[in-house]
Amino acid sequence: MELRGSALLKAPLRIEGEYKRPTDDTLVRAVRAPYVETTTIRGGEATIERSGKARRFSLSRVPELQGLQASFGAMLSGDRAQLERYYAIDASGTRQAWTLHLVPRDKALLAKVRDIALHGRGAELRCIETRPAKGDTQRTLLAGAARSAHGVDDAQALAALCQAQ
Amino acid sequence: MNHAPLRPGLRLALALLWLAILVVAGWAISRHLELSGDLRRFMPSARTPAQKLLIDELGEGPGSRLLLASITGGDAESVAAQSRAMRERLAHDARFVLVANGEGGLEAFPQRLRPYRYLLSPTLDTHRFDAAYLGEQLQARVEDLGSPASALVEPLVPSDPTLETLTLAETWEPATAPQRLHGVWFDRAGRSALLAVQTRAAGFDPTGQQAAVDAIRAAFDAARGSAKSTLVLTGPGAFSVEIGGRTQREAGWIGTIDTIGLLVLLYVAYRNWKIPLLGALPLASAGLAGLGAVALMFEGVHGITVAFGFTLIGVAQDYPVHFFSHQRTGVQPWASVRALWPTLATGVASTCIAYATFFVSGVEGLEQLAVFTIAGLGTAALATRFLMPALVDPDLRDPAQSAVLERMRAWIARVPQPRMSLVVVALLALAVTIFAPGPFWQNDLARLTPVPADALARDAHLRQELGAPDVRYVIAVQGRDVEDALQRSERLATRLERARVAGGVLDGFDHPARYLPSVRTQHARQLQLPAPATLRAALDTAVATTPLRSDVFAPFLADVETARTSAPLVPRDLVGTPLAIRVDGLLLQRADHATALISLTGLHAPDAVARIAAAEGGSLVDLKQASESLVAAYRGRVLWALGLAAVLLVVAVWVALRSPHRVWRVLAPMALTTVIILAVLRAFGVELNLFHLVALILAAGLGLDYALFFEHAGDDREEQLRTLHALIVCSLMTLLVFALLAWSSIPVLRAIGTTVALGVVSNFVLGLLIARHPHRDPA
Repeated sequence: MELRGSALLKAPLRIEGEYKRPTDDTLVRAVRAPYVETTTIRGGEATIERSGKARRFSLSRVPELQGLQASFGAMLSGDRAQLERYYAIDASGTRQAWTLHLVPRDKALLAKVRDIALHGRGAELRCIETRPAKGDTQRTLLAGAARSAHGVDDAQALAALCQAQ
Repeated sequence: MNHAPLRPGLRLALALLWLAILVVAGWAISRHLELSGDLRRFMPSARTPAQKLLIDELGEGPGSRLLLASITGGDAESVAAQSRAMRERLAHDARFVLVANGEGGLEAFPQRLRPYRYLLSPTLDTHRFDAAYLGEQLQARVEDLGSPASALVEPLVPSDPTLETLTLAETWEPATAPQRLHGVWFDRAGRSALLAVQTRAAGFDPTGQQAAVDAIRAAFDAARGSAKSTLVLTGPGAFSVEIGGRTQREAGWIGTIDTIGLLVLLYVAYRNWKIPLLGALPLASAGLAGLGAVALMFEGVHGITVAFGFTLIGVAQDYPVHFFSHQRTGVQPWASVRALWPTLATGVASTCIAYATFFVSGVEGLEQLAVFTIAGLGTAALATRFLMPALVDPDLRDPAQSAVLERMRAWIARVPQPRMSLVVVALLALAVTIFAPGPFWQNDLARLTPVPADALARDAHLRQELGAPDVRYVIAVQGRDVEDALQRSERLATRLERARVAGGVLDGFDHPARYLPSVRTQHARQLQLPAPATLRAALDTAVATTPLRSDVFAPFLADVETARTSAPLVPRDLVGTPLAIRVDGLLLQRADHATALISLTGLHAPDAVARIAAAEGGSLVDLKQASESLVAAYRGRVLWALGLAAVLLVVAVWVALRSPHRVWRVLAPMALTTVIILAVLRAFGVELNLFHLVALILAAGLGLDYALFFEHAGDDREEQLRTLHALIVCSLMTLLVFALLAWSSIPVLRAIGTTVALGVVSNFVLGLLIARHPHRDPA
């Protein structure tokens, strides 16, 4: 469950689907609603497939995705060292409601992404909050948070869900 | 002129003064010398339309300014990063008009021209901006905003909701673009990043190409950093640079060995350390005089003039040697040079008369060559006659006292003078020359390049991977003006596209209207664009079906209105944009006409394409055939000049010697040698080119001199010994120089080297057999 805000949109776009890691170096973002779309991130490239047409682009053009890919990998494999390579990390909260604050080390990435907050509960990563240098905060709700978000439309409520209160 | 010899110290001082003058003159000439690498000056004027296109309009095909690069080694991601870094650096370099690695494309389109996207893109040929089409497009944009690519798309949407800029960027991709990995072009195996770089310098501008190749290598070194990747650079420019470098390296070591060899040879022959210095002065003066004369009489000196010229005046090295071998204790230098002068003058004069025929060839390069050689040989002869006697040590060893030479002479004297056997040899050589299998002439200039086969294969491979245009074929469509040429190119493109889709004819093509459609087409697209109120209504209807805000599309409405009401784009609107480069390369504008060029990729059926081109008034130009026919025309001129030269040579020698028997003895060795060289080359399957011809002329000149001196020696034993000594030194010097050239890996140098080396041996032997007088034993 993701919320994408944009100045062009009347309300944040609510997208449902799932993230998968079929292999260690691949991240798949499968959107089920309101339309079907599959994004495969592998080897520094993203491929977006929608209604039979595929578009590819390099992650170097979208540094925020690179961060996503790296942090996902590191989180899921519990590899803190890898995460440290990309971000300055600041952990806070309790085991039941923790937050990892990631500030990009790479200048190019920092110019686009101010910081990323990972919220979780126990072993579960529940939400990724990405604050771009300009524009609205993008939230990706996962696991239990995504299930709780079902049927919730209010942005404030979703933000609260994300921050795991 | 019976001067007393100068004091030794003064003689040396004068020789050094001469050398100093030459150095200063050489420096002065080199400052004013403008060497032109333009091959066209060395070519006869164009006659056929294809030749005209080659020489006057193109100079070369659109593909020949293209350098292809591939970066290999390491993982794809780092290779891609290097490709991006290289492009970043080269794109801002004025030496390149286009640096493409598959990246971006949007930045190629300048901001002020953005509204014109609706006139340049083919979208409006098939779609209208109504509520249905806009609704469909806007829904796709919403999905884009929800996708990981949102950051790329979001800034474009307000002004370009149909993403026309992306459509254009895709339209402008090479006809068969390679795959993209990490945002840049990669080969099919996904291991090498590919770049296509178009230089501003012409393909035949060696200096410009060298600078371009250096810049690319520097950019690669900077991009590579500490990575262990390698760069492969191919394309006509890269090859010519590589050949240039190799020629220079080989010429370097050949020159060094030559210099050492000649110095040693001259020292051994005369046992006087000043002789090597003195011996070099006339030749060096000849070269400078030749260069100076050409620089005075012509605008630019052609590089080939210099190369051929120095080859041809090599014969001048022999002049002082004849003098040295005849100078001995007890004889005044002035007296010995006077005794030789009639023979030397006959040789020089007849050779110069022969070269003068190049004047009537009507080819500037050949005229330059005539001026160069006549000025050079004349200078060398006069220097030997009037300066050398004052400088040489009068008491040189007399070769006539050498026991070794005497034994050699006695042995030669026992060899009977051949008569019938010569006729047999001549007939045999003629038969081999005429009947040897294989083509007689080599017309393909490209085959003269020593580019290794694997480098050519790499080039072909890269060309195929990158979809780079064919360097041999191009379609030329002439129109009354730019608009006419563009309209023709559009119609032709439609037909070619049909053929391409049908398959088997060609893989792709590129034409100017792809980047700049004709005014007529732009007008038609303007008519398809809705008026502001209509568009506003359609957009509102479309936006209402999406979660998009309706108030963000003002830039789009403004752009469409600008496109709808502005004057269509013409070439001068593109000046200063990357588009201008693409268009200029394919659209040649002249005062009274314009020519559109359509470059072809993966041409499988030239005949079919030629028919399609003809249907729209265009023609498929075979640049290779055009250049070959030019070479053939050029050779025709040279052969005519040579025929005339041969006649004049016979007349000149006849006037000088005034006896049919003597004329026969002097001319037979060189005539026979020419046939023998031809026979040997043909027997070994060598296809003859212009360089062989030039070398044959030099060999004939040497043969004439050898025979003249053998003949001049008469039947006096001592004179015969001195002449034998001089000619052995002369022929060994020439043999040394040209035998080394024959070992070169550069086909041009090898052609000249083998031909002249063969000629020296044959001329010496035949001169000895035919031209010498039977000896008269001392009583």
